[in-house]
Amino acid sequence: MTDDDDPGPLVRLFGLTGGRVRPSGETFDLVAIVTTVSMPFEPVGLNPEHESMLDICLRPTPVADVAAQLRLPLNITRVLLGDLRREGLVTIDAPRPAQQLIDERIYREVLHGIRRL
Amino acid sequence: MEFAGSERSRPAGVALTAGPTALKILVAGGFGVGKTTMVGSISEIRPLHTEELLSDRGVGVDDTSGVEGKITTTVALDFGRITIREGLWLYLFGTPGQDRFWFMWDELSLGALGAVVLADTRRLQDCFPAVDYFEQRGLPFVVAVNCFDGARRHDPAKVRRALGLDAATPVVMCDARHRASVKEVLTTLVTHAVGGAYRHVD
Repeated sequence: MTDDDDPGPLVRLFGLTGGRVRPSGETFDLVAIVTTVSMPFEPVGLNPEHESMLDICLRPTPVADVAAQLRLPLNITRVLLGDLRREGLVTIDAPRPAQQLIDERIYREVLHGIRRL
Repeated sequence: MEFAGSERSRPAGVALTAGPTALKILVAGGFGVGKTTMVGSISEIRPLHTEELLSDRGVGVDDTSGVEGKITTTVALDFGRITIREGLWLYLFGTPGQDRFWFMWDELSLGALGAVVLADTRRLQDCFPAVDYFEQRGLPFVVAVNCFDGARRHDPAKVRRALGLDAATPVVMCDARHRASVKEVLTTLVTHAVGGAYRHVD
């Protein structure tokens, strides 16, 4: 095992989820859109990461982006978002499959968006 | 009756006509072929390289028992983002192609726009599993030959033959370190993924 394999930080992060690796309830995609629908006045039972997620998702945000902004692993992010959904604080909308979604307008936008980079 | 300050909700009346949408593109290929580099070359955010903890049952496996599996492994995952416009994003996900991680690909490829299979001509066999996987799934993909050696040209026809690709699957040469090159790969993929339906668009 090398230093790169040091599981220390991961184990610490894993404590955030109380050892859970899967979110409660129905599973959801890494690009599902999360929207905060309610902010608790007294965030009982929420940790700082939960609260940050509620702030971020006041603007509808994909799961992966929540992870990126908080620099948390995706699966841990997903477990914490699952908690917020269970509490009725966020909604998580399944993405439409790309093949159904992409029409000429979106295709054109995506193409131009890539070229513009 | 509303209690001001008791909760902060999303402003009412905000029309989300089409709804925010994120599209997924997968970056597959053998170990060390340049997946992390490719995601990093194109992402507008500092790409996130995460080590994901997995249970022995894996993520995405339906587990109704409520009993968590024992954690046995971690898997590296890279992802980056391209904002097309407010409410439309493109996400790139790169993760190892070893067989034991296919369940992760099952989840990532669900509803994805398509995939880039990064290939190294010195170890072409490393991308066989990814090619097989996407063919079986019917997910549109392009093969991008990462030209580490820069000047030396590779023959796309030879790569196509070696991988047993059908005529429709694009094979492109690229340099994963260069954004312009990665942009070319992605535009080729997006056009291939829509089946050339809008070829007149430029």
